[in-house]
Amino acid sequence: MSEQERANRRDFLKLAAAGAPVAAVAAVTVTTEAEAAADQSREGLRDTEMTRKFYETARF
Amino acid sequence: MTLAEKTAEFEIAAEELLRADLYDMLGALLARPPTPELLAMVKGLSGDASSLGQGISAMARLASQLKPVAIEAEFNTLFIGLTRGELLPYASYYMTGFLHEKPLAVLRTEMARLQIERAPNVFEPEDNVASLCEMMAGLIRGRFGRIADLSTQRDFFSAHVAPWAGHFFSDLEAAKASVFFAPVGTIGKAFMEIEREAFRMGV
Repeated sequence: MSEQERANRRDFLKLAAAGAPVAAVAAVTVTTEAEAAADQSREGLRDTEMTRKFYETARF
Repeated sequence: MTLAEKTAEFEIAAEELLRADLYDMLGALLARPPTPELLAMVKGLSGDASSLGQGISAMARLASQLKPVAIEAEFNTLFIGLTRGELLPYASYYMTGFLHEKPLAVLRTEMARLQIERAPNVFEPEDNVASLCEMMAGLIRGRFGRIADLSTQRDFFSAHVAPWAGHFFSDLEAAKASVFFAPVGTIGKAFMEIEREAFRMGV
């Protein structure tokens, strides 16, 4: 890719995507597995060793 | 954010990070019913007059007007449903009419090559729209070992995302059950256009 093309792409993206910064939301998306596993307070199917085993066997 | 990602931020251009942010957001919104924390973040967003910006503003407005329970119910009607949701957000389904078809197999081969693996506690097929958004963001940010160069990103995008994601986001925008997710569809559609256009400018 030439310098000119790279500059074009950069300008285009700046113009097109910079009008809507969403960094704040992107930052919360990376939840660690520990957090996911610790969430036992919710209603519905509990995330236990047993349900995991079940899903493991049902895996496609 | 890991240390590797922190250092990567100094190496990746700001406008490429904007793309990663958008992919991350779409991935988070479409992977599971949005959590209250996620919705609180969404409320604070605002956009300019472009269709992407308008979508962001509309989504932020709806996030503060709707109850989280209603948004969760909407997510379930759209993607889970009884027997099935209104939409099937899988590449394989959009590209062949069936789930678990060849596009999924091709994607799995590609993932192995790029050293990406499905998390052990995830049971969705990998060609889910949310997973693909996460993968695009990961490639841009270098979450999978190293920062992917633009030609790797473009090849992945044109093989697994571009052929169908635009159609899916249009469907999401127009789905009967969509209220909160209608602007999410608008955002996705506009963003896919931007991606396509930007990759066409060369890599």
